[in-house]
Amino acid sequence: MPDRDEAARLVDHAQIEGLADELLPALIAKLGATGLGELELREGDWRVRLRRSADGAGAAAKGALGRSTRSGPGHLDHAHPAAPEAPRDAYRSAATSPAVGVYHPRPEIASGSRVRAGDRIGSVDVLGIPQEVVAPVNGIVGAGLVENGDAVEYGQELVWIELISTPAERGGRDA
Amino acid sequence: MFSKILIANRGEIAVRILRACRTLGVEAVVAYSEADRESLAVQQADEAICIGPADAKRSYLSAPAVISAAIVSGCDAIHPGYGFLSEDEGFAEVVRAHGLTFIGPPPQVLERFASKEATRRLLGAQGLATIPGSNGMLRDDLHGLEEAERIGYPVLIKPSAGGGGKGMRMVRTPRELEAALKICRSEARAAFGDDSLYLEKWLEDNRHVEVQVAVDRFGHGVHLGERDCSVQRRHQKFLEEAPTPALGDAARGELADRAIRAIVAAGYENVGTLEFLVDPAGKAYFIEINCRIQVEHPITEMLTGIDLVVTQIRIAAGEPLGFSQADVTLRGHALEFRINAEDTQHDFRPSSGVVERYLAPGGPGVRVDSHLFTGYEVPPFYDSLLGKLIVWGPDRPTAIARSLVALDELVIDGLVTNLAIHQALLRNETFLAGKMTTNLVDRVGAAAFLAAAAR
Repeated sequence: MPDRDEAARLVDHAQIEGLADELLPALIAKLGATGLGELELREGDWRVRLRRSADGAGAAAKGALGRSTRSGPGHLDHAHPAAPEAPRDAYRSAATSPAVGVYHPRPEIASGSRVRAGDRIGSVDVLGIPQEVVAPVNGIVGAGLVENGDAVEYGQELVWIELISTPAERGGRDA
Repeated sequence: MFSKILIANRGEIAVRILRACRTLGVEAVVAYSEADRESLAVQQADEAICIGPADAKRSYLSAPAVISAAIVSGCDAIHPGYGFLSEDEGFAEVVRAHGLTFIGPPPQVLERFASKEATRRLLGAQGLATIPGSNGMLRDDLHGLEEAERIGYPVLIKPSAGGGGKGMRMVRTPRELEAALKICRSEARAAFGDDSLYLEKWLEDNRHVEVQVAVDRFGHGVHLGERDCSVQRRHQKFLEEAPTPALGDAARGELADRAIRAIVAAGYENVGTLEFLVDPAGKAYFIEINCRIQVEHPITEMLTGIDLVVTQIRIAAGEPLGFSQADVTLRGHALEFRINAEDTQHDFRPSSGVVERYLAPGGPGVRVDSHLFTGYEVPPFYDSLLGKLIVWGPDRPTAIARSLVALDELVIDGLVTNLAIHQALLRNETFLAGKMTTNLVDRVGAAAFLAAAAR
């Protein structure tokens, strides 16, 4: 994949932040109120889908940010002409630390493993008690950002999960 | 001395503790919640570590998060500041169990003074007069009614745990008592996780006077004079001064002497504050002890020149106090104004938002302990304290005159603050005469103070 310039990435980050700050709280409230299982909303080039968590905790839905009109890996030549250059980050999402402690990836979850959103991919030891690190999205385990045994803080990005679904797949399913 | 200290607090006190650590040449790590990522303490820290989300229960109040942060960042001590985990003996015990030092009294000392009611009996036995109160914790409403009848109305309902006026109510009749017990119980449970209550005789027109003490591990203790915290609104202090205008020099000295003798005899360790109510005749009744550094500690520092946070850290590290009572001299007069993000026009409703412009005052005897800076966004999740203006003068009138100038210089744009109530108080006859009592602002009404000053 081609390297992207800093400005384009900043634009994308700003858009993602805008979505997360303005749209997500409203969507989460809506999801909680309706009792629906899943909600999806498109804005510009971005698509936000919220899914109620498996335990039925309603508004504690998992959000996944995906770029709806961008090509996935291997489809770069089909980039939407009107859209800005896609960030690599649009194709991946980082699993973050649930607590401050010591990080241990699950040995059986190696780079390249397929995971579903909510799958346990490691743990953070807090005073000897492991707190689950879960995959934020469906995807393939990518590069680790910290090593086994590293001290991590709350919210720290630990490992990339590369998104699996390509726009073509999504288009087919969403149609 | 410690090699690295974790500061498990936020706001102005995190900045204050950071300064003390630097004075001592000790590295410090600031533990912060996601809501405080942009805070001054985090910006100034040698190292900072995010311990949880904005919700204090999962960050500043989470013992595992705080202790884990201390361990992974290589700290050997934790400073809890005030509020949050600062007086939680269970937390102090777990800190010790992990081989770390809690900066405050050791766990067994905290435990001895954990119950306000038991502390009252303990220090009563050491010769301090105590306020008539219920015999132990209230078992139920009926027990409360019986005890109130025995003590005599009005009575004050108080929670065994915590402070800051939560779970406290003054009641004048059995009917009021029954209704208030339920409210106090739920408030105390929500605020401190402990809903045990007790009763105290309510003294009308009392003054709140507290004695600062420091006791090292070797039982060597000194008092650092007293502070007057009679200016309160709904049991919350917002203006403190020292020395107290309520007592003459001899009575002040005697109170402080009795306090330090009793607390050393009772086995206290580290800095602490003994709170007393002083009745109109000048008799002082012990009410409770605060086993932490207090918000209003700077006025004592202004009078004595002693850094209380440094003293606290040194004592926790096992060092001897290094000075005696004869070395403690109290000079001049100091006032502290708590600057809160509160709307005085709307029942002191808390406010939050972005500080558009911040200018701190200066001049002789002026000190500001604050975490504000221009552009700082005050998060809505925590208490409304924005900082403290502390003003010293060689005498009370000079300190008051300097305070008026400093309050006038202080600029905090973008937020609603309680500056107006301070300016009103400094022009109030009762305050100027040194005759404030703890019930006065509530009885007269804050609005009346503000209106009188505006005329």
